[in-house]
Amino acid sequence: MERQSQPRRAASWAAAVGQGALGVWMAGVIAAAFAWAPRAAGFGGESSRIVFFHVPQAMIAFLAFLISTGYGVAYLRTRRLRHDSAAAAVAALGLLFCVLTTVTGSIFARVNWGTYWNWDPRETTIVMVLFIYGAYFALRSGVDDPERRAALASAYGLFAFATVPFLFFILPRLTVSLHPSDTLAPGGPRMDPRTLRVFLASVAGHMALFCWITRLRLRLVDLEEAILEPEGARDAGC
Amino acid sequence: MAAKDVRSELRSRSALNAIGMFALTCLAAVSFSIGPFRIGTDDRPFLLSLLLWLCLFFSAMTGLARVFVKEEEMHTAASLRLAAAPGVVFAGKFLFNALLLAALDLLIVPLFILVMDYTIARPGAFAALVAAGSLALVSATTLVAGIIAKARVRSGLFAVLAFPVLFPALFTAIRGCERAAAGALAVAPDLALLVSMSGALLAISVWLFPVVWEA
Repeated sequence: MERQSQPRRAASWAAAVGQGALGVWMAGVIAAAFAWAPRAAGFGGESSRIVFFHVPQAMIAFLAFLISTGYGVAYLRTRRLRHDSAAAAVAALGLLFCVLTTVTGSIFARVNWGTYWNWDPRETTIVMVLFIYGAYFALRSGVDDPERRAALASAYGLFAFATVPFLFFILPRLTVSLHPSDTLAPGGPRMDPRTLRVFLASVAGHMALFCWITRLRLRLVDLEEAILEPEGARDAGC
Repeated sequence: MAAKDVRSELRSRSALNAIGMFALTCLAAVSFSIGPFRIGTDDRPFLLSLLLWLCLFFSAMTGLARVFVKEEEMHTAASLRLAAAPGVVFAGKFLFNALLLAALDLLIVPLFILVMDYTIARPGAFAALVAAGSLALVSATTLVAGIIAKARVRSGLFAVLAFPVLFPALFTAIRGCERAAAGALAVAPDLALLVSMSGALLAISVWLFPVVWEA
């Protein structure tokens, strides 16, 4: 018994060390964002430092949407409810990061453009993604049967994803935007070297945070499935 | 399929009445509040285009979901599943919604132009944009109507699900109509964008509809 629990104990230790390292990393990113990276020219006050948080959060909001849609496709192919639960778990995280992106973006807008919200094309894009997430959860809460809910939510997720090219790539180019141009430009990032290092460290930290929380949520989904399955078997008279 | 729905609708007129009366009420409210004189000349092309599309959008939200909801309420959905393939059902429902929205456009758009004294420099382009925008509206909402017909709470959910998907098309239609009203020559890009959005939404709707229909 002692031998069987050792790998598990080692895994727990590794996880704890990893989480500790992530915490230290993010603390370092926050400190560097305010104390080490220089202020960018052309922005009000210290508002340029928001790029270290706002842009990674926007990346993750989109990534979560992509992963959630992927789980939706997996559900439609396999009809395993675990995939639908995973889609919902990832979408919930995506919603959180979408809210964070909207809030940090509004703070930047207030400092630089004088108002929290003016329907700039980029602001519009992120709030539409927020509405899509909100609609997804409104739909899930409006359907009781788990398999029907999974099918409809997966279908809606895929359908809403079809608007993403228009929201992310076409709409922002149809009107004039005050939003700073793409952080990672085709010709190479136009950032100060220190700023670039902190930015990339922040992206890595945010991604690791997202992966960690996603992993925790998926473990929760698996545990719930394991608890519910024996009940299903009991109901079937096994 | 569409002919059956048209015949049924002409008998009951539930969607026609709902959508028509809502549109007229909306138009009356806009006309009463703003009238033809309160908006300055420079702002008229944009603001009137916006108000027109708001009337059309919210009117569509009251009636376009009926096409599937009534099948669930009347318990005829099961027999429809047996009688026709999902693709045929979708095509019929899409066509019916398109006809319904076309009827709404024919009712509301001329009335709006008259009561709001909306001067349109390029009427042909304006009409094409209204048609393309309506096509995009129907392309997006037919699948959503199929989805909400299976939900517990239907009335508010339709607009909640449809709006984020429709927003790019709505924005483009408003902008295109503004340009056509103002006499701008470059409306072709807006028209092309609306048609391509309709195509994309329709293609993905046809692909996903069997999943929704069998759920």
